[in-house]
Amino acid sequence: MIRRIFGCIVFAVLLLGNGASAHHNMTALFDFNDRVTVTGSLTKIDWRNPHIYLTIDVKNAKGSMENWQGEGPAPSWFRIRDVGKADFEKSIEKTLTLELSRARDKSLSGLIRTITLPDGKVISACPQNC
Amino acid sequence: MKKADRVALVCAAALLGVVCLAGRATGQELSAEAKEKATAEARAKRNALAFENNATTIVFFDRAGKRTGGITERAMYGETVVSPDGSRVAVVKNDLPSETADLFIIDIATGASTRLTTSARTEFVMAPVWSPDSSRIAYVTIRKGQEAIYVRPANGQGSEELLYRNPGAFMNLTDWSLDGRFLTYAISDMKGGALFTLPLDGGADRKPTEVFKTDLRVFVPKFSPDGRFLSYIQLDAANRAEVFVRPVDPKAEGGPWQVSDGTFSPGFWRRDGKELYYLARDQAVMVADVGTSPTFSFSKPRVLFRQASKVPDRLAYVTADGERFLALPAPRGPQLQQITIFNRSGEVLQKVGEPALYGGPSFSPDGSRLLVSKTDQQAGKADLWIIDLATGKQTKLTNDTFQKVNPLWSPDGKYIYYASFRNGDFPVHRRASDGTGDEELVYKYESGAFVGLSDISSDGKYLVVDSGGFIMVVPLTGDPASRKGIEFLRTEWTDTLGRLSPDGKFMAYRSDEAQVERGEIYVRPFNAATGQPGDGKWRVSKDGVNAMLHWRADGKEIFFRGQNLESNDLLVVSVELETTPTFKPGSPKVLFKLPGPLNGNLGNISRDGQRFVFAVNVPAATTTESSTPR
Repeated sequence: MIRRIFGCIVFAVLLLGNGASAHHNMTALFDFNDRVTVTGSLTKIDWRNPHIYLTIDVKNAKGSMENWQGEGPAPSWFRIRDVGKADFEKSIEKTLTLELSRARDKSLSGLIRTITLPDGKVISACPQNC
Repeated sequence: MKKADRVALVCAAALLGVVCLAGRATGQELSAEAKEKATAEARAKRNALAFENNATTIVFFDRAGKRTGGITERAMYGETVVSPDGSRVAVVKNDLPSETADLFIIDIATGASTRLTTSARTEFVMAPVWSPDSSRIAYVTIRKGQEAIYVRPANGQGSEELLYRNPGAFMNLTDWSLDGRFLTYAISDMKGGALFTLPLDGGADRKPTEVFKTDLRVFVPKFSPDGRFLSYIQLDAANRAEVFVRPVDPKAEGGPWQVSDGTFSPGFWRRDGKELYYLARDQAVMVADVGTSPTFSFSKPRVLFRQASKVPDRLAYVTADGERFLALPAPRGPQLQQITIFNRSGEVLQKVGEPALYGGPSFSPDGSRLLVSKTDQQAGKADLWIIDLATGKQTKLTNDTFQKVNPLWSPDGKYIYYASFRNGDFPVHRRASDGTGDEELVYKYESGAFVGLSDISSDGKYLVVDSGGFIMVVPLTGDPASRKGIEFLRTEWTDTLGRLSPDGKFMAYRSDEAQVERGEIYVRPFNAATGQPGDGKWRVSKDGVNAMLHWRADGKEIFFRGQNLESNDLLVVSVELETTPTFKPGSPKVLFKLPGPLNGNLGNISRDGQRFVFAVNVPAATTTESSTPR
């Protein structure tokens, strides 16, 4: 909705850049044209402002484990949408899927676009992160 | 906690036979449900008030600048695009409760509205463009994270067809070529932008062509009627926008041509390709005679008309025949602001100067001067000014096109500190308050991150800022470009507006800890040696707080703006305090109310807590300035 409200006034878009400038310069850190989907076991949650972080262990094509980190919207973004920290805490050590805009430095990290919880529930971080 | 989890908790307790625990859990259940209900009710009231304050209508002007009717339905309109045949407007309407935006077609003659899309919660439609025969609409959506262009019949019959699935993001779809063969869109982010065309033949495997790529941001490409050129807006590093034209064929010679000398709108081509329109920074509607054969040519733009009001309606679209200009009037009519000073009872003590486009009035520490933001309609920009209350003399502090936010006085009144949006960043600068000298960099945070400047410690050692819902203190030592903030408070709650007590021992701040989307004031001890909070936390407010958090100079009273979800009234609330032997807040009291909408900021209250300054809305007079038709 943030992106939409800016979009209401064409010139506001021009002056403010775009919705991805929510906290830091998202487009400087993440490549929105390089998407990756990773599935693995949720190992860690950092549930603080300005962005939450989810860490998952993912088995790569060679069979070795990789430690991926996804950056999501602020806790209040989830809170307003009736998704809580508890939903993620109870998913620790369970399988989670993250669709990410990959970090430009090609590290094993990205900006979260969607999260699929172990029960199949999909949480879209758009429009905030899209 | 989700409802299912709460129910599970109650059941588990009952099964264990722990009656008293079950009772407590049930009590918590009711309490949580009541809280959820209160949150939902508050959200509904906030949305209703936001609609009331922001919904507008649509009006049309002719080439002489006279109003010629419009659409009376009030809505929160996004894009508004007139069909090529001039009979209908495609509008995007924002819906606050569902956080959606959807596409509607409104018949201009009858006002009849046809809904074209229905988005799921938090999903939306944007950027409608008409097919040249006015029969279809293409638009962009983001659904489950996927941005795409769709098309559907404009009469609401028939189904939606996928045209293009964007592998990336930020597609700004803005035109459909007159021959019907191409769409055009821009993609821009903080690193620059590009213009694209998308062929409509070729089936599902359509591939866009990049026309032009730049380190600057580019927006709103529009085809010339012969399809050989694109007009577009380019934004430079100083946030200055201009209308440019360049060939669609990247290999073609010539261009780009800068048509405007400062613009507030895209360029709009007339259907015969002989005129190009835009809105100048001074709000005049401009026209340039143009040609596209053998190559692009244009005359010096001239004023077509200037709206009569001192606060013009926002021009949003020009019809293809160049005869009608669609605008969105301000929701409450054109308004200016009168700087007005009140006493503790809400009685007017002084009116300062004449009404103008003012914002954010703020008392100097000694109460003799005001800092204000003033918009110059002619120059199309807002700058910071100092007003001497005894003489009325006004001194202009800044002269630039940067958007300046949260200006603050230094504790000694010698400097003004402010954050400003500069090419994607929010650095904090300061300037001498007497208008002399240049601005100096004070602090630069992460690239692209918004910085809310909220205080400077009375000893001048710390800057207090918030960003993304957490509060930092920045030691004002060393090289300004290398200064690092210390996290004072970083939680899962949204914590903002850190305000240090005059003796530097406490930090007051606003947090939504108690209820999402509603702030309350809390106070924590501040350790000046470490920049960290000490033990203890006290809640000062109880019924919601919007802004204006302020300590009285003796530290024995806190003021804030109370929340009023039922009306626009601004509530000035006071809480008396004891700080020894321990911190102890009294009960909040409403000092006075002012009719709104009225903005509050961090400088509205004099340090002695006796005077309150606001930029009060007054109707803008319609000037006698006449339109200047050709």
